[in-house]
Amino acid sequence: MITEMKVRGLMFDPYNNAYIVILRVEDNADMLPIWVGKSEASAISFALEGVAAPRPMTHDLMKAVLDAVDAKVISVVITDLNDNTYFAKIHLQYEDSEYSIDSRPSDAIALALRTNAPVFASEAVLRKQTSEELEQWLEDLKPEDFGKLDS
Amino acid sequence: MEQKESTDLVQLKVHGVVHDPDTDTRIVILRDAQNAELLPIWVGAAEGIAIKMALEGIVTPRPMSHDLIRSMADHLNARVVRVVVTNVKNSTYYAAIHLLSRGTEHSVDARPSDAIALALRTNSPIYVTQDVLKRRSAWNLDAWLEKLDAKNFGKHEV
Repeated sequence: MITEMKVRGLMFDPYNNAYIVILRVEDNADMLPIWVGKSEASAISFALEGVAAPRPMTHDLMKAVLDAVDAKVISVVITDLNDNTYFAKIHLQYEDSEYSIDSRPSDAIALALRTNAPVFASEAVLRKQTSEELEQWLEDLKPEDFGKLDS
Repeated sequence: MEQKESTDLVQLKVHGVVHDPDTDTRIVILRDAQNAELLPIWVGAAEGIAIKMALEGIVTPRPMSHDLIRSMADHLNARVVRVVVTNVKNSTYYAAIHLLSRGTEHSVDARPSDAIALALRTNSPIYVTQDVLKRRSAWNLDAWLEKLDAKNFGKHEV
């Protein structure tokens, strides 16, 4: 059982000097926060804001490689959470077969946003990661922590 | 045609990645087999790390972005045959990744940093055109090399 998620945005986490990608379930407002590094956050931010870099960034290249061989991203799925590490799968359609490729969620999301592919989360991930942790984190956040995504 | 192209190309090896003391960037040092040609290319910190990890054979627990590109190519039976630094314009270098898929070769536009990071992960040769090498020397390479301490070499810190 998988649930479609929307990428709502990015936040800076000053405590861990990292960024958080906020995924959200459309119907019930459940949130799935995923911690990512700076360059991964910047790759997602470019796609979210529709910014086209003068030269292809790494995930633009990833898409160009898939386009060159006529492979299509069907979907990406955040599949598991283990020791604070998230696992994802990128599902590709190529010729008459489907391929499922292991990836970090940050790469999967950055690619999904560039290929208009849907992002899903498995039930296991949503069950393990309730919104409570994020809400507590948000409560602790100071106003000056916002708006710091400079890349 | 292929013959002509290959004579116009010089094969380079990645000699190392150094930290540019002036900026938060990394410099990828490419050299030919005779050590006669030197091509430094400025890349971002993340791209420099991606190249350094491949150079040093560091395997991360989770696939990094260029590992993922290689993994996709493997799954789809596409092979990186070579990468070429094709052009330099206003200090920006351009590269092409040559992919062989179902008997057809495709050329994909890329930044040299991505092309090199991928070449190292696929054991593909890295080339530069003679033309780019010629125009590189328009730069004040000597001054730059003087500035770069000898100790910066081999440190490969990121």
